[in-house]
Amino acid sequence: MKTQLIRRNMKKEFNGWWIISLVGAVVILLPILFIFSSIFQEANENWLHIRQYLLKNYVANTIILVVLTGIFTALLGVTLAWIIAAYDFPLKRFFRWGLLLPLSIPTFIAAYTYRTMLGYTGVVQSTLRNQFDYQINSEWLRVSGISGAVFIFTLFLFPYVYLITRAFLESQSTAYIENARLLGRKPLAVFYKVVLPLSRPAIVGGIILVIYEVLGDYGVTSYLGIHTISTAIFQTWFGMYDVNSAMRLAAWLMVIIVGIFFLERLLRQGRRYHLSSKSRPLVPVKLKGIAGIAAFVYCGIVFLLGFLIPFIQLLFWAKMTFVKVWDSTFITLVYQTVFVAVISTIMILVISVVVANVSRSHSSFSFILSKIVTSGYSIPGPIIAIGVLAIFISLDHWLAPVYSKLGLGEAPLILSLSLIMLIVGYFIRFMATGFNAIEVGFEKTGKKYSEASRMLGIGMTKTFFKVDLPLIKGSLISGFILTFVEICKELPLALLLRPFNFETLATKTYQYANDEQIYEASISSLLIIVISILSVVILQMIGKKVKK
Amino acid sequence: MSIVDIEGLTFSFSRKEAPVIKDFSLSVGKGELVGILGQSGSGKSTLLRLISGLETPLSGTISIAGTTVVSNHVFIQPENRGVGMVFQDYALFPHMTVKENILFGLSKMPRKDRKQRVDEMLELVQMEKFEKRFPHELSGGQQQRIALARALAPKPKVLLMDEPFSNLDADLKESIREELFNILRKADMTCIMVTHDRNDVEAACDYSIVMGQADVKNHISPKKFQSIK
Repeated sequence: MKTQLIRRNMKKEFNGWWIISLVGAVVILLPILFIFSSIFQEANENWLHIRQYLLKNYVANTIILVVLTGIFTALLGVTLAWIIAAYDFPLKRFFRWGLLLPLSIPTFIAAYTYRTMLGYTGVVQSTLRNQFDYQINSEWLRVSGISGAVFIFTLFLFPYVYLITRAFLESQSTAYIENARLLGRKPLAVFYKVVLPLSRPAIVGGIILVIYEVLGDYGVTSYLGIHTISTAIFQTWFGMYDVNSAMRLAAWLMVIIVGIFFLERLLRQGRRYHLSSKSRPLVPVKLKGIAGIAAFVYCGIVFLLGFLIPFIQLLFWAKMTFVKVWDSTFITLVYQTVFVAVISTIMILVISVVVANVSRSHSSFSFILSKIVTSGYSIPGPIIAIGVLAIFISLDHWLAPVYSKLGLGEAPLILSLSLIMLIVGYFIRFMATGFNAIEVGFEKTGKKYSEASRMLGIGMTKTFFKVDLPLIKGSLISGFILTFVEICKELPLALLLRPFNFETLATKTYQYANDEQIYEASISSLLIIVISILSVVILQMIGKKVKK
Repeated sequence: MSIVDIEGLTFSFSRKEAPVIKDFSLSVGKGELVGILGQSGSGKSTLLRLISGLETPLSGTISIAGTTVVSNHVFIQPENRGVGMVFQDYALFPHMTVKENILFGLSKMPRKDRKQRVDEMLELVQMEKFEKRFPHELSGGQQQRIALARALAPKPKVLLMDEPFSNLDADLKESIREELFNILRKADMTCIMVTHDRNDVEAACDYSIVMGQADVKNHISPKKFQSIK
């Protein structure tokens, strides 16, 4: 009888939507499994060398970076979130969203901007020398090594912690904070005794996002000369052409990711307080006198350092190099970036919509499915890149007889030298961005309309096009823009998986910076930043809508 | 002739939880109006979702007009069961007008007959003047009538109603309830209605059952109900 029931239930669920979802999940899972399988293959000489002399250093640097960035972004993000959520002071409304703007500057662009700006010939030192006749010790201002990377990561990634913590404090903590105030506790005590413990899951959530960014980074660490596992993956691949060792390194990085995943569970365990569902917005307390000025200065300094100063510096450089850089090749660059981003985004959204629709059934299958398709976001770009590359090379070997029959030569690399590889990489990495936006849309509309449609004799597919799609249109648009922007900014995947002579704005910017043509890199940097600001604005608008 | 036959129905939300509905049986004849009463969590709405195919039972059989729609080896999708449903909050499609909402379920009908059917339905619920309005432009009572018209338009074999009066004001409720039951009688519709209000049942149901009690198999007539009260 049990098998009968299983057969009945499978028959009930089995349809085109299910099959497409399954294919999407396999495409995402395959490269990851491929990387893990490399552990069981026989190691080569390169790997023995890496393991004996280098691996310890790579792992140590990676962990130091993660820990220090985690601590500093938490400090900055949580204090700013608390000040903005709980207090009123001059320009607070502006800072509320202005403090998200550092996210629009990709960290590798921030790194070369700061390094050049604070360098010997940069604006800071030359102004001090020429205007004030003051010779500062260059070492004090040097942005390099781990301290430089932590400085850049903290200043430009803290908004993840700030955004999530602020949203939590503004919407769900009101009753507790007001009670603590009524019970006569001082602001500092309220912060330590009530705010911090309650918002721990939100803070941890924000820090984890920061950590994923740091682990997947290639731009900052390679530019500042730090050897991490991610940079090592690039070196073994491009320097030694050793995919096998690169895969082993990726597997090591995966071990760290899994460790962080469990650490997150542990940190959140027992801390999921049942919070009152009746949420009122927190009424901010007006800060007077010095306290108000201090809050303004604190937010102002972070905004200046995290956005305005590097942005103005880039504008200045762009003005200097505009005539030289802005030509037809630059237009081609923009076209290529937009082209690959649009195709990838459409692919992501189509599969997101299908999987999110299947996931509405809330069965254990759909739960696992949604976890698989969103897993790419927590996997650093270099790991995805190496997994995709390995799969595509295997595919090319497998298809070699077909190629030869088509007259394409003996064992050529067709797929692994094509743009498809990069698109698949983006698909895996940014599926979560599209999926989450669509899922929010489905959650908002609920199941009642599609159930009503099915009760009127309309099947699942027609129901989707006639009822669901018009209702989730808004989420679809925001999902499209957010995914598009993420892809435009992306660096490691594009560097590793692009075909020969194919550049995106991000890779070109990186290339300029790497060739010490910092000024020339500014126009493409600004273009990326402007596109990213668009995403911040949209996030803000979505936040407002949800609040309403 | 019975339109809905339920035999030994058992349902649980997860394998770890105790069944919400256990070994439940019911038979509803043509044109009968059955009320289902019970406290929240007793499985009233779940029963409707099982009949309509929006949930799947652990065991048991449901037949509609002589066709088995679910058993241990059969599962007919909701859209193919010939069941109409009026949802608790009506679930009128917000992006469609009243007319489009009613037309929605008529896609299998010949094109030329559809317009006539819509007009018939609007007349039945006395909402002829509102066909171009959107759901948010209607009052609660008007929305409920359109939801009923939409559910009846495709001529379902049985109509299921989930707390159809719970979103209405107390003074409105009584008049609308009477109107609704008149419409159903006029249409000679077999109907199962879930409610938590005994007055709804007493007003028009042929008989009622109380879920979440040991004797769910026994029908309680409205008269008997009054004596309980």
